[in-house]
Amino acid sequence: MTSNNTPNDILIIGSGVAGAAIAQKILEQHPNAKITMLEAGGKMKMRDFALHQDYLVTGNMPYDYYHDFAYPNRDTAGENESLGKTMLPMQGSRLLMYGGSTVHWGGWSFRLKPEDFELKTRIAKTSQHLSGNYDLIDWPISYSDLEPFYCEAEHYIGVSGDSNDTTSPRSAAYPYPAFPYTLEDKPSIEAMQSLGIKYSHMPIARHGLTASESTHPPCQTTGTCKYCPFGARYAAANYLDDIQTFYDYPNFSIITNAAVESLIMTNKHKVSGVHYIDKNIDQHATQTLHADLVILAAGAIESSKILLRSQNDFWPKGLGNDKDLVGRNLITHPYLMFEAELPENPLGLIPEMDFPTMVSRHFDSPEEQSEGKYIIVNPPSSIGVKLAQEMQNGKPLNVIRDELTGKTKLQLHALVEIFSQRDNRLSNVSKRNHIGLQETAINFDQGPDFEVRIAQIQTEIDKIFTAMGAHNTKLKTISWRADHAACTTRMAHSSSEGVVDKNLKVFDVENLFICSNSSFSSLGAVNPTLTLTSLALRLAHHINENVLPNRQAEAGNNIAIHEAN
Amino acid sequence: MDTSETYDIETPYPYIEESLNLDADTFETMWQLLSCIFDYWELAMPTSGAKSQLLVFMQNRMKINLNYYAEYKNAACVIHELNQKFGKHNGTIHLLTSPEAAIKPANTRLARARQMVSNEFITLALSIGGFKSFGAKNALGYINGGNVEGKAPYRIFSDHTDEDSKKDI
Repeated sequence: MTSNNTPNDILIIGSGVAGAAIAQKILEQHPNAKITMLEAGGKMKMRDFALHQDYLVTGNMPYDYYHDFAYPNRDTAGENESLGKTMLPMQGSRLLMYGGSTVHWGGWSFRLKPEDFELKTRIAKTSQHLSGNYDLIDWPISYSDLEPFYCEAEHYIGVSGDSNDTTSPRSAAYPYPAFPYTLEDKPSIEAMQSLGIKYSHMPIARHGLTASESTHPPCQTTGTCKYCPFGARYAAANYLDDIQTFYDYPNFSIITNAAVESLIMTNKHKVSGVHYIDKNIDQHATQTLHADLVILAAGAIESSKILLRSQNDFWPKGLGNDKDLVGRNLITHPYLMFEAELPENPLGLIPEMDFPTMVSRHFDSPEEQSEGKYIIVNPPSSIGVKLAQEMQNGKPLNVIRDELTGKTKLQLHALVEIFSQRDNRLSNVSKRNHIGLQETAINFDQGPDFEVRIAQIQTEIDKIFTAMGAHNTKLKTISWRADHAACTTRMAHSSSEGVVDKNLKVFDVENLFICSNSSFSSLGAVNPTLTLTSLALRLAHHINENVLPNRQAEAGNNIAIHEAN
Repeated sequence: MDTSETYDIETPYPYIEESLNLDADTFETMWQLLSCIFDYWELAMPTSGAKSQLLVFMQNRMKINLNYYAEYKNAACVIHELNQKFGKHNGTIHLLTSPEAAIKPANTRLARARQMVSNEFITLALSIGGFKSFGAKNALGYINGGNVEGKAPYRIFSDHTDEDSKKDI
């Protein structure tokens, strides 16, 4: 075991949006702070036109290596273990690499709604008819506590949205205007109008045009968002590159291919560093880094697993796990894909964009909360013929033109809130994956109320399809993929119901913070990334204003030394 | 002599600049293939720059995988033979439409020319503007510019009751 004896002010584990936002905000105020970021995966070239064209013509993701493999089956060894009644696929759900899952995310940038922060209180009044055994809590913070940081987060990641949209209360405008509805939204919007269903512009993390200085170019609507050649969609990898390229932060460094094994404790209440394996040095030897503060920002799954692996005399069941809550209450978003047939497509609608421009949060409402809120999205690629595919099949022009305006399938997608159940959990497996991390076991059961809820949602979707003139509504797929895995180290009022406090600090540990979806108290019905970014900026604000000054005042210790250098 | 070390420079696909230089006959044949794709499906050809976009595209394919050098040489040879057999225009159309070029796995020279070259050129042709013939304003791969108010880079739906629909809780 080797040790880097120069202690860090702050150690950040994980290089996704949470880690990147925290690092940037702290460095802006403390440019000489010694911050080291550890990333288990490697780097990939971003903003490269050859890789962009390769993705365009083959559909191959240049970062596919950093996805989990599929679960083992009869023919392939696979990775991870699915133990419960409901399979949560991990393949494709996250990226274990520099920049984290923001390298492949869609950029849907929703705020939660005020009622989401009071799930337990509100649902207790109305949920007598639910038969599942749910473990619900309220957030220890309110929407208004987070609202200023939502505004800051929308500017940090560059969201294009409708500033007049009152779906969630806001005190500041979006940095960029909303993308107009595409013509593909016409059938859905007209149907929703006829049914009195509210809808709005999709808030989307795509940089817009700006007169101010920016290293982030505007979206050029290339329709290849999964690998943007310009970096117009937020990706933490680009931002971390920029921090290192354009700013003078002499004590900031990122170590890639460095998998954290466990946290080191000085005593029950203080973490002093991490043990990790640096594959650049040795595939097997453990290295050590010390720090005054440690921030776990490694995603819901890995952050929880690191705590569980950090067993010692002070925390025999894993760090922060005296109450056996770490890794439990796992939830994600089931993603429902409904499909129907339109008898004709007179406008010749075909996909023109790679992100949706319309969303309905009509059913993401207090009235629906006890059943499980949901949003409806008009996906950008569901309608019309795939021109390239038809031509590659050798079809002549007249046939393609007839198909273009003829019968077509179309889809509506829904994202549904589900509730935490204590027995739904994740844990470590001793076997290591191809990145070098210990694999994950997931034990998950969708619960007894889910099928009923799906039937209710399908009824509403069928009404929309029918209003469009479409028929044969069917639920094509339910994706339980673990993209939005959350709530496994929940933020709570006390250690009896959660793992971290309202400042994301682990209960009973003075210098360890967890900033990932795992710290959500509940998930709501919307994509979590904007909320996670807001929490990250709020944590950085707390560290800047309260933690670092106090630590400097207490000891005149390393932080003061690094500031003076 | 420059002795600076370069071994740790990041590179996603090391390539040799000289290896990207295709002979003139092969490139001209590939340009004829792309032109035929535009003609056969009556795609809207960009007013300028299509030929240079083809060159950049081919070089990018070879950068990532030098096997594309051989694929393009093979496709040129296949097209020459087909043109001799069916006539200049019909030979290339045979490549684009013949079922025997679509067999999988692509284990004939004809099938490789279709599946590794002309199919990719179809995607390229659409992405540099060919899609406009089908009435759309934007398409996957097309670089159509930013979201400028009043000049959206794609076909839009104007929502006249927008303000009412936004009202929520």
